[in-house]
Amino acid sequence: MPRLLKRIHGDWQICDVAETPWIAQDEWRAGSALQVSVDAEPSTEWLDASSIAIDFPAMTDGRGLSLAVLLRNRLGYRGELVARGSVHQDIVHFLARCGFDAIELPDEERLETALKWINPHTGYYQPSVISSESTLTSAN
Amino acid sequence: MYQYNEFDRNFVNQRVAHYRDQTERYLQGDLSEDEFLQLRLRNGLYVQRLAPMLRVAIPYGTLSSQQLRALASISNDFDRGYGHLSTRQNMQFNWPALEDVPDILQALADVDMHAIQTSGSCIRNVTTDQFAGAAADEEIDPRPFCELLRQWSTSHPEFEWLPRKFKIAVTGATFDRAAIGVHDIGIRMSGSSEQPEDALADIYAGGGLGRTPVLGALIREQLPVKHLLTYTEAIMRVYNRYGRRDNKYKARIKILVRALTAEGFKAQVDEEWAAINHEQGAVPAAELSRLSAFFAPPSFAELDNASELLGTQRLENPAFNRWMKHNVHPHRVSGYSVVTLSTKATGMPPGDVSSDQMDAVASWANSYGFGEIRISHEQNFVLPHIPQDKLYALWQQADAIGLGHFNAGLISDMICCPGGDYCSLANAKSLPVAEAIQRRFADYDYQHDLGSLDLNISGCMNACGHHHVGHIGILGVDKKGQEFYQISLGGHAGHSGEAPRLGQIIGPSVAREEVCDVIEKVIQVYLGLRFEGETFLSCFNRIGILPFKESIYAKAA
Repeated sequence: MPRLLKRIHGDWQICDVAETPWIAQDEWRAGSALQVSVDAEPSTEWLDASSIAIDFPAMTDGRGLSLAVLLRNRLGYRGELVARGSVHQDIVHFLARCGFDAIELPDEERLETALKWINPHTGYYQPSVISSESTLTSAN
Repeated sequence: MYQYNEFDRNFVNQRVAHYRDQTERYLQGDLSEDEFLQLRLRNGLYVQRLAPMLRVAIPYGTLSSQQLRALASISNDFDRGYGHLSTRQNMQFNWPALEDVPDILQALADVDMHAIQTSGSCIRNVTTDQFAGAAADEEIDPRPFCELLRQWSTSHPEFEWLPRKFKIAVTGATFDRAAIGVHDIGIRMSGSSEQPEDALADIYAGGGLGRTPVLGALIREQLPVKHLLTYTEAIMRVYNRYGRRDNKYKARIKILVRALTAEGFKAQVDEEWAAINHEQGAVPAAELSRLSAFFAPPSFAELDNASELLGTQRLENPAFNRWMKHNVHPHRVSGYSVVTLSTKATGMPPGDVSSDQMDAVASWANSYGFGEIRISHEQNFVLPHIPQDKLYALWQQADAIGLGHFNAGLISDMICCPGGDYCSLANAKSLPVAEAIQRRFADYDYQHDLGSLDLNISGCMNACGHHHVGHIGILGVDKKGQEFYQISLGGHAGHSGEAPRLGQIIGPSVAREEVCDVIEKVIQVYLGLRFEGETFLSCFNRIGILPFKESIYAKAA
């Protein structure tokens, strides 16, 4: 049973979950779990996915972060959003703030470290998908 | 200048804690070299040819005397008693131990400083005019907008993993000392510092040096400043999604802008911006006022210009007279001047400063200049607010410690990267070339006669020494394992008020021992063909590159 990091009612925890049958974009049908690559163009059809995973080809590839922001803020996707692939335990806080609510790591033994650093700061300068609070708009 | 609040302090302290944990895990073998590389870069740590190098952020080149003293202490406690002023207005330490870096970062955090995002493919330290808030030609102080961008870009969740590094520069003066045309984003602010919420921004994108030098294209005119962050967000998102990631030499935003054309890129950014809720994301006027208040002018005394006193002092001391001529610049307030303290003593690596010099500059800033210090992208210290009747005392003290050189803006005040002596990217050494040229042109009368001349040296095509925008540019290249140097002429960064321009390569590269002779020939052509009072650059504009080519590559009869 795969283990991953999940945000449940606002709290991140390590969870055992059933294997998700991810289906790549070209074969995917509404109602099933969709896995997209970081260079995919978001489509309103995706709103019918049971879950969406973005597959990171490298820890340094930030395209998946922008794609997540577009899914959440532009398409208004409210379902589960999973980060998969070459995801690194030290950058999970960026993923969390871009709207991912589930994170798979290549090495499950690193989940503890990821959980420890899921939110390394008590506050951030910018608003994000998960928080409208920002020092730059605090005057609002 | 900007003062940290509890939020800022917590932020940098928490960042140090995270990095300390990462360093420990790396040393225990829990993080691979490649993994740790990406994490340490974003905390300022490179591994260089001889040792690690730590790049400390000096936001838009502004620091307090207390901060400079802390940098001096760090250089003594953790390094070899000196630091290097970089062309990004930062300070680099060349010899820190990797295990000590978390402690160094904590020492920085203790004085409200950090090394966040000073390297790696992310938004780097925002740079600006080193004379900001003091220059006579300034329309609006760019620093509040730099600070706004600094905060916004710090650990931005979406833009920390870009295709390549990303540099933003801002100016608010007639003469663009920030070189906005050669940055990924260049911002020209207009308006008034009294009404920061009404300021407007012209946005340039896609400029850059490196192996494909390009001047930025104006993609948005007169953007109301409240939209600065959302518009930057739109640019960053287009770049993050569509910038090339398959080839690091084609990954800068300039390549994307060129591929889409400036109009195509602008259209894509505008479309993205239209889709962002930019009223919700607008920076509130109160926030702009809050940030601007930090940069309010210091409490200047009501002084008259000290022309008479300075006249006497200049007559009495020719060396002071030279320094006044080149290193002292007009201030917007009467009775005050802006001073450049040159680090370009012959034989010293350009930009290198000892801890004693740092302490001294800090104490002069305290005694004469409201405790404020700037670092210029020409790798010099600047004291922005010096009363004119203190200039002579300041110069005497500076001269006694090797910071009183008269060469600001002259040929020996060259921009130079650390080159092959330190940097593992370099194809060739740059420091010995700089020194040889300084020796060749050491004579003051000769330098003075040559007048304003920017000579920039880079040890490789990454162009950290800005060779493309030197009036004379020198680029180290590797030819079958041998160090050669390519010379270009006629570039400029836009300081003169005109749009910046890239230099033209003069011909085949030359061996190191020939560089000085080639520069000498260039100078001779200029001296032979110039009109009275004509600068090197104006002369080049008039006569073109041909006379220089002919002189240098003329076949022996």
